[in-house]
Amino acid sequence: MKLNIDGLLVYFPYDYIYPEQYSYMLELKRTLDAKGHGVLEMPSGTGKTISLLSLIVAYQKAFPLEVTKLIYCSRTVPEIEKVVEELRKLMEFYSKQTGESNNFLALALSSRKNLCIHPEVSALRFGKEVDGKCHSLTASYIRAQRHADPDQPVCRFYEEFDSVGRQVPLPAGIYNLDDLKDFGRRKGWCPYYLARYSILHANIVVYSYHYLLDPKIADLVSKELAKKSVVVFDEAHNIDNVCIDSMSVNITRRTLDRCQTNVDTLQNTIQNIKETDAVKLKQEYRRLVEGLKEANVARETDVYLANPVLPDEILQEAVPGTIRTAEHFVGFLRRFLEYLKSRLRVHHVVQESTPQFLKDIFDKVCIDRKPLRFCAERLQSLLRTLEIADIADFSAVTLISNFATLVSTYSQGFTIIIEPFEDRTPTIANPVLHFSCMDPSIAIKPVFQRFQSVIITSGTLSPLDIYPRILDFRPVTMASFTMTLARTCLCPLIVGRGNDQVALSSKFETREDFAVIRNYGNLLLEMSAVVPDGIVAFFTSYVYMENIVASWYEQGILENIQRNKLIFIETPDAAETSMALEKYQEACENGRGAILLSVARGKVSEGIDFVHHFGRAVIMFGVPYVYTQSRILKARLEYLRDQFQIRENDFLTFDAMRHAAQCVGRAIRGKTDYGLMIFADKRYARADKRGKLPRWIQEHINDGSLNLTVDEAVHLSKHFLRQMAQPFKQEDQLGLSLLTLEQLESEEMLQKIAQIAHQT
Amino acid sequence: MASLSEEVLLVVKKVRQRKQDGTLYLMAERIAWGPEGKDRFSVSHLYADIRCQKISPDGKAKIQLQLVLHTGESTTFHFSNESSALKDRDAAKELLQQLLPKFKKKANKELEEKNRMLQEDPVLFQLYKDLVVSQVISADEFWANRLGDINSADSAVSNNKQEVGISGAFLADIRPQTDGCNGLRYNLTADIIESIFRTYPAVKQKYSENVPHNLTEKEFWTRFFQSHYFHRDRINTGTQDIFSECAKQDEKGLKSMVVQGVKNPLVDLLSLEDKTLDEGYGVGTTLPSTSNRTVKDSSNSAIIKRFNHHSAMVLAAGSRKGEAPADQASETSSTDGNSRDSDFFQPPVKKVKLQEAIEYEDLQRENRPKTVALNLKKSDRYAHGPVPLQSQHYSTSQDIINSVSYIQHEMANYKPNLTQVLSSTAASSAISALSPGGVLMQAATQQAINQMVPTDIQGELKHLYVAAGELLRHFWSCFPVNTPFLEEKVIKMKSNLERFQMTKLRPFQEKIQRQYLSTNLTGHLEEMLQTAYSKFHVWQTRRMMRKT
Repeated sequence: MKLNIDGLLVYFPYDYIYPEQYSYMLELKRTLDAKGHGVLEMPSGTGKTISLLSLIVAYQKAFPLEVTKLIYCSRTVPEIEKVVEELRKLMEFYSKQTGESNNFLALALSSRKNLCIHPEVSALRFGKEVDGKCHSLTASYIRAQRHADPDQPVCRFYEEFDSVGRQVPLPAGIYNLDDLKDFGRRKGWCPYYLARYSILHANIVVYSYHYLLDPKIADLVSKELAKKSVVVFDEAHNIDNVCIDSMSVNITRRTLDRCQTNVDTLQNTIQNIKETDAVKLKQEYRRLVEGLKEANVARETDVYLANPVLPDEILQEAVPGTIRTAEHFVGFLRRFLEYLKSRLRVHHVVQESTPQFLKDIFDKVCIDRKPLRFCAERLQSLLRTLEIADIADFSAVTLISNFATLVSTYSQGFTIIIEPFEDRTPTIANPVLHFSCMDPSIAIKPVFQRFQSVIITSGTLSPLDIYPRILDFRPVTMASFTMTLARTCLCPLIVGRGNDQVALSSKFETREDFAVIRNYGNLLLEMSAVVPDGIVAFFTSYVYMENIVASWYEQGILENIQRNKLIFIETPDAAETSMALEKYQEACENGRGAILLSVARGKVSEGIDFVHHFGRAVIMFGVPYVYTQSRILKARLEYLRDQFQIRENDFLTFDAMRHAAQCVGRAIRGKTDYGLMIFADKRYARADKRGKLPRWIQEHINDGSLNLTVDEAVHLSKHFLRQMAQPFKQEDQLGLSLLTLEQLESEEMLQKIAQIAHQT
Repeated sequence: MASLSEEVLLVVKKVRQRKQDGTLYLMAERIAWGPEGKDRFSVSHLYADIRCQKISPDGKAKIQLQLVLHTGESTTFHFSNESSALKDRDAAKELLQQLLPKFKKKANKELEEKNRMLQEDPVLFQLYKDLVVSQVISADEFWANRLGDINSADSAVSNNKQEVGISGAFLADIRPQTDGCNGLRYNLTADIIESIFRTYPAVKQKYSENVPHNLTEKEFWTRFFQSHYFHRDRINTGTQDIFSECAKQDEKGLKSMVVQGVKNPLVDLLSLEDKTLDEGYGVGTTLPSTSNRTVKDSSNSAIIKRFNHHSAMVLAAGSRKGEAPADQASETSSTDGNSRDSDFFQPPVKKVKLQEAIEYEDLQRENRPKTVALNLKKSDRYAHGPVPLQSQHYSTSQDIINSVSYIQHEMANYKPNLTQVLSSTAASSAISALSPGGVLMQAATQQAINQMVPTDIQGELKHLYVAAGELLRHFWSCFPVNTPFLEEKVIKMKSNLERFQMTKLRPFQEKIQRQYLSTNLTGHLEEMLQTAYSKFHVWQTRRMMRKT
C-alpha cells in the first residue's frame, strides 16, 4: 500500500499494516527531518525492519540530496541476510507499483569467510584462517613480487577484479551475500573486495556493527562513507558492550611469550634485509622523517589492522626519532615487553589508571608517552617494509603495540587491572593484564559526530533514557511502542514461590539451596507436562546451569521431565550447541516436544529466535545479573557513577533486565505467535525490576500474577494455552491490530495511533 | 482330543490354578492346564497370544508363574509340589523363555502371507498348481517375483504398522528397587532392551560380541548398570570395563554429528557472528581452561553432554526407519530424467529459511493454502509426454483456430451432390454383405466361440493362457540380460517354456484335435511361445558372437 507519512509518500510492500508500524514511521520521519539521532523501541515481530526500510528508502527517493546513504548495522549474519531479503521485497514492490526498474544499489558486506569464492581459501573453516590465506595471496607486495616471479600462487578473482572490476560500478540491484558470490563467480571477480569497493557508492549498505564501531576495522572499511548517511543500529540493546569490547585488550603471559618470538623474528628479518637490501630500510626511514603517512597508502588488501584509536586522535605528526630506525624500534619493543613481563610478575591484584601506568613505565624503563602513541603506526610501517606475508603470526606483537597506543592516547575512560590468578583458582598462577574500556561512548562518539542521523532501535531498549546517557548523545526522538494485540498472545507470569511456599530466587544466598533447586525443577517438570512442543529455559549463568542440571539429575527430576519431552542443553562449545539446537527444532517439528536449557547472555539468547512452536514457553530461572565480583565490572560501575551519575544498582538491574527481556522476547516473534513468559524469581515482582522491562511486556503483567506458586502458574498456563490454541484468523485482527489503508486513514484510528508511541 | 497328535515338551504335575490342582502341559504351540482327574484342558493358550511371563520373586512363600496375554488377561499358576516347586517353576520358565520369542518373531509370517494370498486369489492358486505343483518352476521362483509385487503393492496394508519411536525416558523407567540387602534390582523388559539397543548401537554391538560366549545375559546387564557408562556422572575409573569403549564410540558419534554441522543456517552458532574480536581484545572473561577444571565440573559437563547425546539418539532412532524409504523413493524418481537436476533448481535450505523468517503472514492479503509448486524442468514434456527425438511440427493455436473456422465454413456451405450417389440396389447389397452372415463377415466367427467350444475346454484354455502368461512374464522380465543371474534365469525360463509346451500345451492340442475342434484355438499361444523362442535365439546367437 501507499502511505502518507507526514507528507512523504511511502511504499509499503504489504496490504495491511500494524498501527505501531505507522506510528514508528512517523517518529522516524521526524528524526530524519531534524537531522538528529533517535532511540526507538518496538517489540520484535511487529515488522520493525520493514518499517525502517520503507521509510528511509522513501526518504532517500524523495530527498536524494539530504540522505545519500543508509547504513544498516545488525548483529549477526542471518540478521544481515534477513534485512537484505526484506529490502528485496520492498524494491520488488516499488518496481511493480511504479513500473520503473529499480535504480538502487543495496548490498550486504560480511567478512571474507562469508564472501570468499576462491576454492581453496573458502574451504577453510575459521575466519582468521581465511583472512590469513587471502592476505598471503593478495597482499600488495606479494603481488609486486609476482611481477618478478610469475610462479607465485595467485588469487585470480582478485586479479580479475583489480584489473577490470573497478571501472564499471556494480549494476543497480539488491545483493545479498549469496548474490554477491554468484555475481563474483559469473564475472570472475572477488566478491569481498567488490563489496568493499561498492559500499562507497551504494545507496544502502547492510553490515555488522564492527565495521562501524571497531576503530581498527572501521578505519579500513567505513572511512570514506558519506557524511549524509543515516545509520541504523538494529538489535542495539547490547551496543554498549560491543563498543567496550572493541576498545579493550587483555594480555596474558602467553601473549607476551608469543610477542617475544615475534620480536625475535622481526630482529632477524631486519638483519637479513640489512645485508641484502639496505636501501629499503633507508627509504622507510626517510618516509617516516617526512611524516608522509600517505606515501605508503595502505593497500586495501593488506590486512594490517588500522590504528586502534579513533580517527580524530591520530596525530598528524612525524614518528618520533627514537623509534624511527627499525633496530631502534625493535629495541624499544623489547624494552616495553620486558616491562610488561615484570608487571605480570605481581602477586596481588593491581588496579591503576592510565596516567599512573604511564608514569610507572617512564620511571622504570624510561619510555616516553609520545613514542608509545606511535607504536601501532610504526609497527605497521615496519611489517609492510619487511614484507611479512602471514600477518596472523604477528597478532601478538600487534596486540601489544595497539595496547601501547591506546594506553598512551586515552587518559580517561580506561582502567588497567592486573590479576595474578583467577578468582576461582587462587593457587594457580595465571596473570592477566586487563586494559579495559569503561566508557562505551568513546567508540561510538565518532559515529554520532560524523553521520547526520543515527537510529538506535531494538525490541528491548527499556528504560530508554539510559542509552543516551551511557552512550553520551542527545537524541531528538525517544519513543517506545507497544504491540497492539487483538488477543493477548503473551502471558508473563512471575513465579515467586514453590508449592511449599519456599521463596524462589537465584540470589547468591539461596543459590545452593536444595529447596529452591527442587522447586525450580518442579516448575520445569510441571510445565513440560502442560506446554505443547518447545520450551526454552534460561539460567543466569553457565556455572549455575551446570550445578542445577547436576542436582536435578541426582534428584531424578530430569528423568521425569524426559517422560514428557526430550532435553537439550547448551554447552560452551558452539558447534555442539548448534547441533543440540537443530535437534531441538527437529523434536519440536515432529511433535515429540523438547526442552532447551540455555544461558542468558549466551549465544542462544542473543541470536536464535524461537518462533511459534519452537518456543511456546520461556522460563527465566533467576534474574540474570552479571557476575558482580569481577573487578572490571566494579571499575566500570564506579566510572558510570562518577561520570554519568548512574547508580550501580540501577545499572546492574538495567543490565539484568535487558537480558531477561531479550531471553523471554525470543518466544514472541509476531502477532500470530503466542507464548508463555515465566519469570521464576520473586525479585521480578518488585517495582524497580518490573519497571525496567519493556513496555510491551509490562503491560500484560497484572497484579494477580506477581507472586504465583508453581501450581497457580500451571493453572494459568493451561488456561492461556487452551485459549490460544483456538483458531486465529486475519479477520479477528482487522481493525484492531491490523489495518487496511482506509481504516488507517480514519480520524479515530489516527488518534489511537498517536497514543501508541510512548514518548519519554 | 486334538492335542494327542501334538508334541508335549514338558509336563509339570501339582500345579494349581484357581485353587484347583492340576497338571501343566507345555506343547509345541501352546501351553495348557488341565484339572486333576479330567482329560480336557480348562486353560489353553497359544504361545503367540502370550505377551510375557512373570515369576514371583525368590523367597516368596508361593511359587508362581504368571502369563500375561496380549489381550491383557493373565493366568497365574501356582507350583505346589513341596519338594520341587522351585525347580518345576524354573523349568517351565526356561522353556517358555525359549519358546516365546520364536512365536513373537513370527518367522512363519511370510508363509502365512503366501497361504493367505493363495486362498484369496483362485487364479493365483490355479497358477500355482499349474506351475509349481506340476514342477514347471520351483516354488521359490514363483514367489520371488510375486512377493516383490505384493510388498510394494500391499505395503500400505501389510506394513501398515507405524514405526514406534522410543520413549525419551526409557532409562528412567528402569527403576532400580532395593532388595533389602544392599543390592539393587533392575527390571528389564524386552521393550526396554530394544530401546537401549536402538538408542545406543554401541551397546548392541557389545552385546552381540559378548553374549553368550563371554557373559550370560544377566551378567551383561549387571555390568551395564554398574558401568560408569550408565552412570555417566561417575568419572572413568576402571579401564577393564567393557563399556568404556562404548563411551568412546558415543563420543566419536557425537563428534561426528558436531562436525557434520547443521543444515539450517539460522541455528548455526558458529557462523552467527560476522567478525569475531581477535584474540586478546574485548573484556570477555576468558573461559577457565580445561586443565584446572575440577572433577565435579567435568562430571557435570559430562552429564550435559550425555543428555544432549541421549536426546539426539532417541530422536534419531525414531526417525531412522522412516528416512530409508524416502531415500529410495527419491532415487527411483530421479531416473525419469525430469527430476535429475531438480536439486539444482530447488532453492537451498538457507533461502527457504530466510524467506520463512521474514514473512508476515497476517500482513499479506490472502492466506491461500500453500501448495507445493510443481517443479518441472521441461514443461513441454509434462504436457506432451515423452516424444521421440525428432523435429516436431506443432500446430500453433492460430492454425487450429483457422482450421476450425475453415471446417465451419465448409459445413455451412455443404451441399449434397445428389447426382453422384450409389444406386439403391448397390447400397442394399453392400449393407447385406456387411451384416452378420454376409459375405464380408465370414471371418467374424470368433464371437461364437463360446457356443462352439465346450465349457470345460474353455476353462482349460483359460488356465493354459494364465500359466503361459506367467511363464512368459518371467521370461521377458529377464531382458535386458545384464547380470549372470539373469542369464542363468533366462536359460532356465526357456527350458521351462519348452517343458510347458511339451507337458501342457501338446496334450491340450491333441485333446481338441480328438474332439475335432479347430486347432486355431491354441494358435495364439503357440505364436507367443515362438516369439519368445526367437527372442531367445537372437539373444543366444548374439551372446555367442560376443564370446567368440
